[in-house]
Amino acid sequence: MSSNKGSALLIVAHGSTVNPDSSAPTLAHAAEIRRRKIFAGVECAFWKEEPSLRDAIFLFDPESLREVYVVPNFISEGYFTQTVIPRELELNGRITKRPNGQIWNYCEPVGSHLMMTELLLKRAHDVAPDVVPAEASLLIVAHGTDLNENSAVAAKREAEKIRAFGKYAAVLNVYMEEPPLVSDWRKLTESPNVVVVPFFISDGLHSYEDIPILLGIAGAAGVDRGRPGSPPPATAHGEIFRQNPYAIDGRKLFYAPSIGTDPGFADIIVEQANAAGKT
Amino acid sequence: MRDLIEEIFNGLPVPFSFGQILVRRRECAGFVLLHRDDASLDLLETYRDAEGAIGIAKYDDAGNYRPLKTAPNLRHGWRLELAAVEELRRALDYFYPGRLAVFAAWKSGYLKTTALRETLDRQSGMYRVAAKISDPQINDLVTDFCRSDTGCLRTILWKRDRNRVIASTKLPNEKFDPVYDQGTASGPPGSATPATAAAAATVPLLCQEACNLLVAECRKVVKDEDV
Repeated sequence: MSSNKGSALLIVAHGSTVNPDSSAPTLAHAAEIRRRKIFAGVECAFWKEEPSLRDAIFLFDPESLREVYVVPNFISEGYFTQTVIPRELELNGRITKRPNGQIWNYCEPVGSHLMMTELLLKRAHDVAPDVVPAEASLLIVAHGTDLNENSAVAAKREAEKIRAFGKYAAVLNVYMEEPPLVSDWRKLTESPNVVVVPFFISDGLHSYEDIPILLGIAGAAGVDRGRPGSPPPATAHGEIFRQNPYAIDGRKLFYAPSIGTDPGFADIIVEQANAAGKT
Repeated sequence: MRDLIEEIFNGLPVPFSFGQILVRRRECAGFVLLHRDDASLDLLETYRDAEGAIGIAKYDDAGNYRPLKTAPNLRHGWRLELAAVEELRRALDYFYPGRLAVFAAWKSGYLKTTALRETLDRQSGMYRVAAKISDPQINDLVTDFCRSDTGCLRTILWKRDRNRVIASTKLPNEKFDPVYDQGTASGPPGSATPATAAAAATVPLLCQEACNLLVAECRKVVKDEDV
């Protein structure tokens, strides 16, 4: 970036009309970056929440803020980063000059940054600090079968990179809806410890309930809905992460919150803006 | 550095209202924010930092998640004490994300509005079908979905299409008037309307383009018709 005095940061995320926790990590990362005073302005925009991507066009005073860095808080390149965000923000490439002279720099999504590997390792350690990695399998969970999204590919890439370190007994990319299935973790792993990190931007139905059910830990944590369609118990949100480790078949399973809730995401967002500023 | 929003704050008489929020000046220094319906109440839960607004704005009185922050269902029973104008700005932005900036753009004359048909024609993927909604269906949907008493407190600035046809012929003219205080809109016939405090000044929640929720509703209308 040429100078932070006239530069602003826009963090773009999906958001949700049903999940109250969807935007929370993005707002928290924005508050942290704001606190660091790196940019003259830091704002968020969401596809499904407010301010909308269309509102974001007006968030930055064109007279005082000459440059805007747009960082998608997404796990991978895909439909949203390649189609929806550029269209809604009226971007026509990596660099867009508005009629008012303001320059908008479209950055890579956070999930594409090299630091993501480091962050996954840190999260795996944080959730199971006393576990010797050589005696543990690390599972990185993505959704799989996402239309036009590449989160499954990104999870595979991260698993391969971590595997290459030779630190963990095994490192696997697993999915909710396509093989290798997270529900097959007993067959897929042999180590006495299993560490599971959801490769998602925020916690929500998938990390609070769906994956725990697939892992077979929902009942133990008291987050099982019981009947389909019935409301989740009041303890559901976050409780699943407080009951580690889960003892299953003589093994210990450690379940981490979604990677996007890690405060280290704020560093990656800034790095993605820096990278765009240097090109 | 020039700050449009700060300039607006400096020019505003206090107290002023913003949606369902009343902003008052504190006796010592700073500001106090509360729900307009709670203007005469003393026993309120007190918050003292701008980030407190995130939690207050997230759920309604019944504990339901509020996906649309400009819906007229802001939770009651709180007061937010803030020391400085920068905190006030941040808190108001948590309550009504983006609305201050849109208001500032409107005041400065560079706010661009987008007709609903343009918004719908731009959609892709699962929302592409929303463009098939008919004009009468738009009229009914906007009337129901955007009405100030039960739907949304924003003032509609966008038109239905490029011919500048009004978005709904059934909503009152005030719904399209930035000077009108949408927070005082009366409830539906037969309902009890809360006693909402009128303020000396009002900052309108301006709507320059249909939100994603309305686009999703347009899609729903089309899909329901296909069944």
